[in-house]
Order: sequence, then structure tokens, then C-alpha cells
Amino acid sequence: MSDLIITGRCVEPPAADWRARLAQMLGEKPRRIGAWAELGLYGALRCMADDGEATLPRDAVLMLASRGGTHVATRAALDQMRDDLPMPVAFLQTQPSQLLALLAARLDFPGNACFLAGASLAEARALAEAQAGAGGALVGWVDDADGGATEWLRMRRSD
Amino acid sequence: MNAAPIVGRGLACALGLDAAECVATLRAGGRPAGSRRLPGGLGGEFPYFAIPFEGRDWYERARALATRVAAEAGAQPRCRGALFVATSSFDVGAVEAGVKGAAVGDYRRFVDAVAGWLDWAGPVYAVSTACTSSLNALIAAQAVLRAGSVDEALVLGIELENRLTMGGFAALQLLSRTGSKPFGAHRDGLVLGESVAAIRLAAHGDSAWRLLGGANVVDGANPTGASESALNAMFARTLAASGLGADQIDLVKVQAAGSPGNDLAEARALRAAFEPVPPLVSLKATIGHTMGASGAAEIALLTACLENGAWPVAADAVDPELGVALAVKPPAVRRLLATILGFGGSHAAVALERT
Repeated sequence: MSDLIITGRCVEPPAADWRARLAQMLGEKPRRIGAWAELGLYGALRCMADDGEATLPRDAVLMLASRGGTHVATRAALDQMRDDLPMPVAFLQTQPSQLLALLAARLDFPGNACFLAGASLAEARALAEAQAGAGGALVGWVDDADGGATEWLRMRRSD
Repeated sequence: MNAAPIVGRGLACALGLDAAECVATLRAGGRPAGSRRLPGGLGGEFPYFAIPFEGRDWYERARALATRVAAEAGAQPRCRGALFVATSSFDVGAVEAGVKGAAVGDYRRFVDAVAGWLDWAGPVYAVSTACTSSLNALIAAQAVLRAGSVDEALVLGIELENRLTMGGFAALQLLSRTGSKPFGAHRDGLVLGESVAAIRLAAHGDSAWRLLGGANVVDGANPTGASESALNAMFARTLAASGLGADQIDLVKVQAAGSPGNDLAEARALRAAFEPVPPLVSLKATIGHTMGASGAAEIALLTACLENGAWPVAADAVDPELGVALAVKPPAVRRLLATILGFGGSHAAVALERT
């Protein structure tokens, strides 16, 4: 049984003005990262703020999951690929790992970050608990369907 | 540290449809890369390592390869262990080809299809961290085994041909037009390939190889390139997770995909982590860079090579400015590191021990 306890969370639906709030948290509007990644950043930073943290310990694990992930970017890149190569930024946006890199940069986190395709938040949490070190875990589920969801949990060791 | 016995492996790549055929083909001099044409001003002809296997359509080919490779690894139907599907491109090739039922927007559809092909009864995860996917799947699988919730795990790397991935790499100007030259003096980019590979782990039991541990370090500073500081951390954490010192490593399977910048960063990090640098081997000139499946594919091929005395031949003279060399014959190996670098700043490595 895990000894991780939840110390921060972002589980409510994104606010109507979530993009403005994200820009406020970042100090600028994010550029060319795609809506899915923006939504993920918004929730993760809110969760970390709820825990009172700005950075993630290097021995934590960052586990991200989604059902549809980068599907909008993937469709756009596939459209571009019909007649020409995709734009470099468009192709990069098809890779869910780009959000891991964004989060690692923002949270000053040179650590273990992983994307679980098609997993639920509970499945991601279970796998994070199996891998978490002393720094605990940051676990998120981000999807842009049905108005969008960005649910995050910050979990720390209870001792 | 709980080492996980590697109780099975399976491999389909440009060299052949199972590990034995791959070793035999490699021993006979390998198989030259084919080529693929891409549209646009940055397009043209690029070398590509395809699996020599035809299928009725994309899914039928993927199903045949996945079931074949999983069976080679010893996976049984109705297995209640954990299945880790590792891929960066999923079934986008089927979407491109307009195969019935193929669609973007729900990863689970493809993951469930793979589990169905294998008649898998246990939990299923899909790890997608670009090119490090199957190494990260191995690291996660070892953790799940250590936690005790399952007593077996199958990591199945699947990376099959699609135009989007190749086009994306070409758009980023990361592809070679001439060939794969790991650490080469004339290296000018990556050559991509496809593979389906399986590594089967168990909680207990006898095996020729054991997975000792691994580490993944994501560095957000550069979305497409390797970071020397992240590589340093990756080596240090992999050794720590495996209970090893640097002087206990007999061989490093490097990424060395032929990228001018990444190969340089990797060579520098090797020199910083090891004194002296152990023998090195790269398999990229033999099977190409098979992205999310590359970790599993290269471990399957490397362990088979070491067991059979086969060895890849470097395609180009090593760049003397890198200060490293590739081994020209198989060294005596008790413990090795296997490294893969990927998009999204992911740097992953695992340590294996021969029992």
C-alpha cells in the first residue's frame, strides 16, 4: 500500500478564462505549444500552487495520461503531410512528450516524466506510486474533449 | 534494488522476423536500407530500414508482427501479467492509409486492439515518450514487478512505417540522405526504421539476463536535442538504481544515431561518466533508429549478438574529435548499459547483467 498522500490538487473543470489565468501564471502567453499542452500546463501549475510549490523535486515522478492527447495537432500535421512535409512545430505538437518537456522546464524538474496513452487518472496514479521516490509524484489527466479536463494531484510521502 | 529476470525476448526488424534470423543476417553482413520518397522542398529520397514482411493492410501486418514477436518472447494467451505497449506513432500509419476503423482521437482503441491480438488478460499500459518509450516501459515494468501486483510483464515496442513520423523528422532536418553513421566523422543525421520488439520480465526465476535498474531524465531546455547535463544525470542515476559503480560496466549500447549535435553531447557525457570509457556499440547503422520501439529492439538484438558472438560493423570511421571509439568485436560482458535519447528532452538508460 502506498504511503503517498495528496498534498495538492486541481480537479475542477477549467475556468472559462483559463487561458488568461495561464498567461498570468506564466507571465506571458504561451506560444506555439498547442491547446492540449496549454491545458496541461494550466492544471499542473494550479495543482503545484495548491501545494505551495513552484518546483518539483528531482526524485519525484511526473506521470501524465490522456485519452485523446494530441489528436488535434496530429490531424493538422496529417493534413499538411498530404502535399508537403508538416511544419516542424506542427509535428512536435503531435508528440505528447513535448508537454513533459514543458512541465520539466517550468517546474525545474530534471527527473522521470512519462506519458501514459489512454490511461485513466487512477491508472496513472497507481503507476506513479510504484515508481515514486522520496519526492513523491505529480500525476495528471489532460483531455480537450467535452470542454476540456485537466485534473492533477500532487502526492508526497507521509513520513 | 530488485533485479528483474529477462525471461524472454522477441524481435522483428530490418534484419529479420526473429532474433535468430536477425543475428544470422547481421553476421552475413546485414541488409542495406531501402528508401522512401517524401514530398516538398525539404523532401526527396531518404534511406529507411523496413521490416521485410508484407501484410494485407496496416493492422493485419501489425497484428501478425506483434503476435509473432510476443510468442517468440514466450508470452502466453490469457496472461494476467502487465502489458506495456511502447510506441510514439501508434496506428497513424493506418489512418494515413485510410484503413477501415482507423482514426485519431482515442489512444485506447489501438492499445485495446494490441491487447486483443495477444489475448491479454492483465493490466495494459501504453507508454509514449517518443523514442525512449520502450526503455521507459521497461523501467515502469520493473517498478510494477517490484510492487508485487503482478509477477510478469511484457514490454512490446511497436513502431511501424508511417509518413507523418518520417515527414516530421525531415521537416526538422534531422534525417540523413546518405546513411546511418553512429559517432561517424561524416555523420549527417538519423536513418529511421521500423521494429516490433518484446522484452518479457518476471519477478523471479532463472534467465540469461537480468534488468538491474534504469533511469529517465527529462530536460525541458531543448525539445529535440540531447542535453549533456541530463545525460550525466541519466548515467549517474542508472548506476545508482542498479547498485553499480561506473567501473562495473563492460559495455555501453549508445544512442549514437548519427546526429552531429546529439552524438557530440553523448560522447562528452560518456567521457565524464566513465574513466576509462568502456567498449561502445551502436546498432543504428544495422536496423535504423526505430523510435519508440528502439530500446526493446536494440536490447533484444544486442543480447542475442552477445550470446552468439555476432557484432555490427561501423559504417563510417569514428569522428576523432569525439574522443570515443566503437568496439570492433564483442567484448566480454557481465554488465551493460543501454541508452536511448528522444524528443521531449527524454534521456533514458537501463543496466542489464548477464547471469
